Amino acid sequence: MLRKIKPYLLLFPAAATIVLLFFGGLFDGFLKSLGYFPAIGETGFSLKAYSSLFHSDAFWDSLIVTIRIAAISSVLSAFLGAIVAVVVFMMHEKSRSGALNLWNRLFQLPLTIPHLVGGYVIVLLFMQSGFLSKILAKVGVIEQIPDFPVLVNDSFGWGIILAYTWKEAPFVALMVYPVLERIHRKWRDVSRVYGAGNWDFIREIVVPAILPAWTVAAFIVFVFTFSAFEVPYLLGVTYPSMLPVYSYQLYSSGTLADRPEALAVNLILALLTVLLGLIAYYFSKRWNVLKGWE
Amino acid sequence: MKKWALAATGLLALALGACANGASDPAAENTDDLLDSDWKTIAAEAEGQEVNMYMWGGNENINRYLDDWVAPRLQEEYDVDLQRVPVNDAQDFINQLVDEKSAGKKKGSIDIIWINGENFKAAKDNELLWGDFAGKLPNFNEYINPDALEVAEDFGEPVEGLEAPWGKAQFVFVHDEKKVAEPPKSMEELAEWVKENPGQFTYPALPDFTGSAFIRHVLYETTGGYEQYQQPAADIEDLEQRLAPMWQYLNEIEPYLWRKGETYPESLAKLDQLYANGEVSMTMSYDPALAASEVMKGRFPESTKTFLLKGGTLANTHFLSIPFNSSDKAGALVAINEMLSPEAQTAKLSPENWGDLSALDFEKLSAEQQKAMNEVDFGPATLPLEELEGNRLPELSSDYIEVIEKGWMENVAKD
Repeated sequence: MLRKIKPYLLLFPAAATIVLLFFGGLFDGFLKSLGYFPAIGETGFSLKAYSSLFHSDAFWDSLIVTIRIAAISSVLSAFLGAIVAVVVFMMHEKSRSGALNLWNRLFQLPLTIPHLVGGYVIVLLFMQSGFLSKILAKVGVIEQIPDFPVLVNDSFGWGIILAYTWKEAPFVALMVYPVLERIHRKWRDVSRVYGAGNWDFIREIVVPAILPAWTVAAFIVFVFTFSAFEVPYLLGVTYPSMLPVYSYQLYSSGTLADRPEALAVNLILALLTVLLGLIAYYFSKRWNVLKGWE
Repeated sequence: MKKWALAATGLLALALGACANGASDPAAENTDDLLDSDWKTIAAEAEGQEVNMYMWGGNENINRYLDDWVAPRLQEEYDVDLQRVPVNDAQDFINQLVDEKSAGKKKGSIDIIWINGENFKAAKDNELLWGDFAGKLPNFNEYINPDALEVAEDFGEPVEGLEAPWGKAQFVFVHDEKKVAEPPKSMEELAEWVKENPGQFTYPALPDFTGSAFIRHVLYETTGGYEQYQQPAADIEDLEQRLAPMWQYLNEIEPYLWRKGETYPESLAKLDQLYANGEVSMTMSYDPALAASEVMKGRFPESTKTFLLKGGTLANTHFLSIPFNSSDKAGALVAINEMLSPEAQTAKLSPENWGDLSALDFEKLSAEQQKAMNEVDFGPATLPLEELEGNRLPELSSDYIEVIEKGWMENVAKD
């Protein structure tokens, strides 16, 4: 009996913490989004916060912006990440030099930088009076600082997309690379025998091989950019803001009585994230991301 | 087996919850007697305590004043270890205290908070503050006139000893003399200037504290003075109509703002950075000497000056308070008392440290202490104290501010 229970006992502290903190917080947020808030004397339940959200343009504008930015960021970083991974892989095929290792490290560098720092670096580099703009003005490429294109805090969200693409492409590459490593060198030789060039090899062998892992990685990036706060807070515009920022704006302005709406936004975000996560999980199961090789 | 594991986690969650709620804490009860003990007992109890001070951390000078000036003195003279905990907005710790209160947490980590205005009102309304402690502080009794309006009320809300005044602030506009030769003297002139110099002006997006204060100046000027708002917001029936000229003004200047008003800096720190980089020609501050200290640091250009409106600018007092569940209340009392000492206030006045106006009653200081304050050099970017004193407008009560901050999103940012 004890042997059977043991693994569960060992897991218990970790599981309990997660259940308590994660689901506890989610549950608390859910109650407050329904207007249950004893600290300010509200003990009734209602769907008022949700219905007023669904009737406000601000919420729908926010949702559209959020989907647009998350979609573009994940597609761009997915392509960039895949290209980087394939290029490094093909170089690997050619030589096993120290320079390659250096490339590998360089592409992994953004992974070590927190999103908040990354976002702020983008602000300092790309704002109109930023580092890059000042250098270009000094060199004479642009006449004065305002000639520099608006890349940060722009209404389309290019600043956010830039930050996410730079930050998530290495993540996609990291997800795809292990799959590439499993492609046997022999396959390359065999394909050469049949007269396949580099391009044919990539199209016929490499792309189909990485497709499942690549799609899942892109999904993960999408789900993350969909619900992350710090980058859109630093790089976004006041209106329309991405949903996490919108929730923060609701939470931090006005009175405590506005909090149910802010928490309702968070719960909608959580729900959408779970849905997207299930979709990603479904595909990864169906395609057996890392199985079926040997 | 799965069921078993689930049930067990559930049980643990319940047990933990019971611990948090049920246990009556002797330490928490003892500290309430503090309000009846004399200062000697308080000082003795404070020895060795670690006091966490939660405060807005967006300014390096202010942070350094606390870390390098206040904290070492407290450690040396009273054996109180002051830990500064920076937050982005005072609202953050109000939120935390609300959560701690609803969770029944009796020993919180927050011992001192720096608040005023709407956050004080929220804290007072929700009973997040400890009690009537200001009269316990020797320095409060000796150097502060408790009946003065700016000490007895906080944005129109009676203070009732729940917080002790730490300093006074006044709103000033900051400009670069080289780019703005003749600064505007009213909101009307500002609108003209903005239209002639497109892209050179903006203000932080609400609910930023300073951005919100800027808009209150617009409110006063465009709707006919502050006197009408000296009553509760709920008593004005046509409030929305009365606010309309303010939204109209803000929308009128919007196309001429930085980035054509498509977006606003999300914080004062961002606006200051735009100013420091030369992207805009003006910034603003609710701290009349902050610009001077930014010049001293070399962040703002040497040609930086400050100006007021001829109708005056908003002034307020900011306060220190102790939350209901502070774990080290004695230490908090000692630390607040020390920060109200004439020495600490004089050091705080100097732009090298912070440049914040003193909370003490000048008349109550000794000749020597007065001399020390008068000798503080404010640098060329700060206006003379008399000019500031002569142009002060009272703050708006926070129920209006809530309405305005909500309305700004709808009426200005969204269009």
